[in-house]
Amino acid sequence: METFIRIIRLGYNNFWRNRWLTLGATLLMALTLTMISVSLIISFIIRDTADAVRSSINLSVYFRDDAITLESIKALQNRIDLIPNVVATDYIDKEEALQIFQRLPLNKNVKEPITSEFNPLPRSLEIETKDVEQLEATVAAISQADSDKIICDECLSYTKNKEIVDRLIASTRTAQQAGWLLSIFFGLIAIFNVYNIIRLTITARSDEIEIMRYVGASNAFIRGPFIVEGIFYGLLGTAATTLLVPLLAAIISQYQGASGLTTLGSAAGVLNTSFFNYVIDHLGSLVLTQLVIGVVLGVLVSAISIRRYLRA
Amino acid sequence: MTDILNIGSTLPAAPTVVEAPDKVPLIELRHVTKQYTANAALKDVSISISEGEFVCLVGQSGVGKTTLIKLLTRQEAPTSGQIFVAGRNLADLRNSEVPFYRRKIGVIFQDFKLLPQKTVWENVAFALEVCGVPDAEIKRRCDKVIDLVGLGRKKKSYPHELSGGERQRTAIARALVHSPKILIADEPTGNLDPINTWEIVELLFRINSRGTTVILATHNRQVVDRMQRRVILMKSGKLISDQKSGKYVI
Ligand SMILES: Nc1ncnc2c1ncn2[C@@H]1O[C@H](COP(=O)(O)OP(=O)(O)OP(=O)(O)O)[C@@H](O)[C@H]1O
Ligand SMILES: [Mg+2]
Repeated sequence: METFIRIIRLGYNNFWRNRWLTLGATLLMALTLTMISVSLIISFIIRDTADAVRSSINLSVYFRDDAITLESIKALQNRIDLIPNVVATDYIDKEEALQIFQRLPLNKNVKEPITSEFNPLPRSLEIETKDVEQLEATVAAISQADSDKIICDECLSYTKNKEIVDRLIASTRTAQQAGWLLSIFFGLIAIFNVYNIIRLTITARSDEIEIMRYVGASNAFIRGPFIVEGIFYGLLGTAATTLLVPLLAAIISQYQGASGLTTLGSAAGVLNTSFFNYVIDHLGSLVLTQLVIGVVLGVLVSAISIRRYLRA
Repeated sequence: MTDILNIGSTLPAAPTVVEAPDKVPLIELRHVTKQYTANAALKDVSISISEGEFVCLVGQSGVGKTTLIKLLTRQEAPTSGQIFVAGRNLADLRNSEVPFYRRKIGVIFQDFKLLPQKTVWENVAFALEVCGVPDAEIKRRCDKVIDLVGLGRKKKSYPHELSGGERQRTAIARALVHSPKILIADEPTGNLDPINTWEIVELLFRINSRGTTVILATHNRQVVDRMQRRVILMKSGKLISDQKSGKYVI
């Protein structure tokens, strides 16, 4: 126990000994965490946007004609509800269909002839699915469930919009992958920087390490304080980043939509929130991620850098 | 320079090393060669040192004195040949055993190697701290060893507040704090004026008379000639002469 406290104390002293190097290492750590955070936020926004787009891809099936009984429609709805990928179904009767139709941004000439007296609009089922990737299989399952063929031919809307939907799915997937690649790319650059400065802090104390080895310090005592120091960089870096990122987000939010950040802005717009609010909403998990990455990075880099001094 | 010889200090008589022929030497080098580059730094060196001896290792700059010391502290491994310390072949030491081995050997250097931000006491204590010695024990041992080197009143001074001799005595205190069997001094007086040089040499004698084996690497002829102890002379990596109570002769 005394040993443990002593190692922490030595690490703490090291941390404060060389102010400029400490400041530099902390700033670089903060910068690293900021870069990682920002690219994570961007890729999360892309993901959430993609999810929003995908979940807005719903299936609609229209029924053949008005002669079909409500019972058979309800029976089909029950069967569709049992399909694994189906989250919910919503029956739309003729009256609702008319209301929806009236809300559509269409020309008066088109809208006016259709009234509750003269209503040719078909009844339909809105089907909400879980996984858009399985849309095709779901459509097939629905056709199969429709044993009485009460759905009109070519009225499974996915069949109609197949190409558009597929393209949408593909592009959201690409966007998400791009987001992750971005994160990894910036993350690696940043990690490289932290690695270099922590190595510098260790090199700056090679005299001390040399003395430790002459007096027979065990490896735990040589390594320990540097690991503790690495943890301090992680902690302080997180603290700095926690202040920096929301500030950055607030600045970006100011220009959201008005500048070259439109893509980002409108992506966040899909989520009905500003970039700043998005960051604030996710601050908890963001700080936790930074903390984990920061501390793990600090410890790992210190451990790797000190290794070459530990060879007998 | 000869006047350093006249500074009033009485040398203790050379302890007569009782040589029992079957006694295992404390340190033994068998045909040791160390090759850094094409030109070997040490060539086929064999030396045997008994416990309690005071050995001067002399020779011009670059003859391989520091190399020999690095082999003894197991910072370097010989290219060929073996080194035995207390009957143990250093090549057989596992890496995890090396720190414990080093605690049995104190080393001091020409440039002292003190930590500038630490006081005399802290510098000495550091050697125990990083070996996991309990605080109470550290206090006891540091006080004792600092008194031994005569720095009791300078405990709280920082290295830059000390004379060269006092700095070297701090380093000696640090080297002794583990109560090592062997003290190795690599040119310890190289940065000191004659008065300080003599103080350090005297201290080394005193440490030797308490039973610690001392190896002193130097090219200070006055010091060697005055000491009347065993002298091992080296030249370009080779052992040239080994005299029981010798002088530094080329
Ligand atoms: N790490 C090394 N790599 C290559 N050559 C080395 C290395 N260390 C020492 N040497 C060479 O080995 C030879 C002996 O060096 P060493 O330091 O042992 O001499 P020394 O007797 O201690 O000299 P000095 O009195 O100047 O301290 C020198 O020629 C030196 O250049
Ligand atoms: Mg040397």
